[in-house]
Amino acid sequence: MSGNLGRYLIWQCRDFVRERGIAVLLIGVVFGMTVIAPMKMAAAASATPMSDRMARQLLMIVLMQLSFIASFIVLNGLVSNDRKTGYYRFLFSKPVSLPAYYTQAFGVYFLGYLVVFALLLALFVVFVSPVQPFGPLAFAAIVFLSLGGIAFFISSLFRRDWVVLGGVLAGSQIISSVWGEAPGIRGVIARLFPPFGRLGDVMEGLVNRGTVEPQSLVWLLGYSAVFFVGGLIVLRRRPIG
Amino acid sequence: MELVYPAAASVIEFSNATKTYRSILGRSVTAVEDFSLQVAEGEVLGIAGPNGAGKSTLLSLLLGFLRPTGGSVRILGEEPREYVRKNGIGYVPELMTMNPTWRADNALTRLATLADLPPAEIPARVNAVIEQLGIGEHRDKKVKALSKGNLQRLGVAQALLREERVMVLDEPTHGLDPVWTQRFRDIVEGLRRPGRTVIIASHNLDELQRVADRVAIIDHGRLQRLVTTGYDLSADTGGTYRIAVASGAERVPVLLPSARASSDGEFEIPFTDVSELNRALGSLIVGGVLIASVVPVRSVLEQQFREAVGESR
Repeated sequence: MSGNLGRYLIWQCRDFVRERGIAVLLIGVVFGMTVIAPMKMAAAASATPMSDRMARQLLMIVLMQLSFIASFIVLNGLVSNDRKTGYYRFLFSKPVSLPAYYTQAFGVYFLGYLVVFALLLALFVVFVSPVQPFGPLAFAAIVFLSLGGIAFFISSLFRRDWVVLGGVLAGSQIISSVWGEAPGIRGVIARLFPPFGRLGDVMEGLVNRGTVEPQSLVWLLGYSAVFFVGGLIVLRRRPIG
Repeated sequence: MELVYPAAASVIEFSNATKTYRSILGRSVTAVEDFSLQVAEGEVLGIAGPNGAGKSTLLSLLLGFLRPTGGSVRILGEEPREYVRKNGIGYVPELMTMNPTWRADNALTRLATLADLPPAEIPARVNAVIEQLGIGEHRDKKVKALSKGNLQRLGVAQALLREERVMVLDEPTHGLDPVWTQRFRDIVEGLRRPGRTVIIASHNLDELQRVADRVAIIDHGRLQRLVTTGYDLSADTGGTYRIAVASGAERVPVLLPSARASSDGEFEIPFTDVSELNRALGSLIVGGVLIASVVPVRSVLEQQFREAVGESR
């Protein structure tokens, strides 16, 4: 990391908080309330306190959906926004490497996303039930990283990255559910799509047992990492204008 | 045509640079075609051309925002993107697209950080450019709250944050009022350094005439003419001058049949060379006409521009 880019970190953190962090936190609170509040009210009405098992199941329901939504919001427009809006003209007339700039932005957004999830988990612990924070936080991190490389690649290629990313997510879910277990060429095609279907197993292991099956983890993160490198190559070779 | 500015070493070199945009459907538009030019150290080069002539594409090639589809562009022997990554360029874009939520002084501070100014120097440098561009009273405003002129001044200010060896200004006086347009010319004059190369693209030929050493006139993406600015009368090949007459206007058509009355007390005199102009003026003075002023109807640049663009259209 060059000195000027390192010092620019503080501005990227500020951008994250203002443009994405607060929005994700609010969405997380509202989303959590809409799912958790009725369950809590039901538990209160029946005068039976929420069991640990029930709290964990509730957390899994919220976490699975919210981590995807939050990752989608945080990663949307990571590169493409600057291209669409023309902000790149000011940024990249300065002595800055495009791949380094966006790699740093990716890192800042990842850490910011984790901080938001840590805050949301703290709210869960205070208002719902005490849970071990490591498993849920690790799962949120895995969702972000699994989606991150693909989103980074798409954002470096397309101006309307959220449409493409949404299409890839929906396509992979559909293909996985239809051809996931199919033999032959259909099975091969299904495996070419992002392996988000494995996230269910990963979450179950992390939240309930505190462990994760290494093969699923390697497949998820490896798949994303390949696309992240692809995004860096695009940024290096393709003009941004 | 010899395109190297004779005084100093070449800093920027376009060699048969071509940029063709191709759509998915196979349609193509050539924005810059076979463009060759060398720009010297210490030179202020103007780029003039009608709308859609390829000026902004040319500057995007120079900043490495685009890559040529043919030929090459080099800054001190390096690919533009590589040069900019290592050294940076003072750049004022035509489109002032800055994040609207940034505060003006914060925008300068963060861009000064990216420009790799030493942290200790940034506040003083930011204050200096704010003062130079007269945006002190707007420094706390968000970009979205700035008027077009103030936003333009902010864009110019960020380009002046650091002592850059290469400066590229794309329509820099666009949106500025006449006072700041004049001040901007002084700023550009102040940018002249023996080791610095400045490129200014503008529609304003008068502005280019005043600030540039040479002006490249482009149209249809091609270099049409390269004009050395300034009124070099010895090299002047003629044109039209407007004379204002204080008294004796009725004698002008008699003494000078080629003179054409343009308005009350004003006449336009076509001439083919400077000596002919002087002879004409002499005959008017001897004939008792009192001349108040003599000004060229068109500058050399404007005349060349009209000829070049007319020829290519």
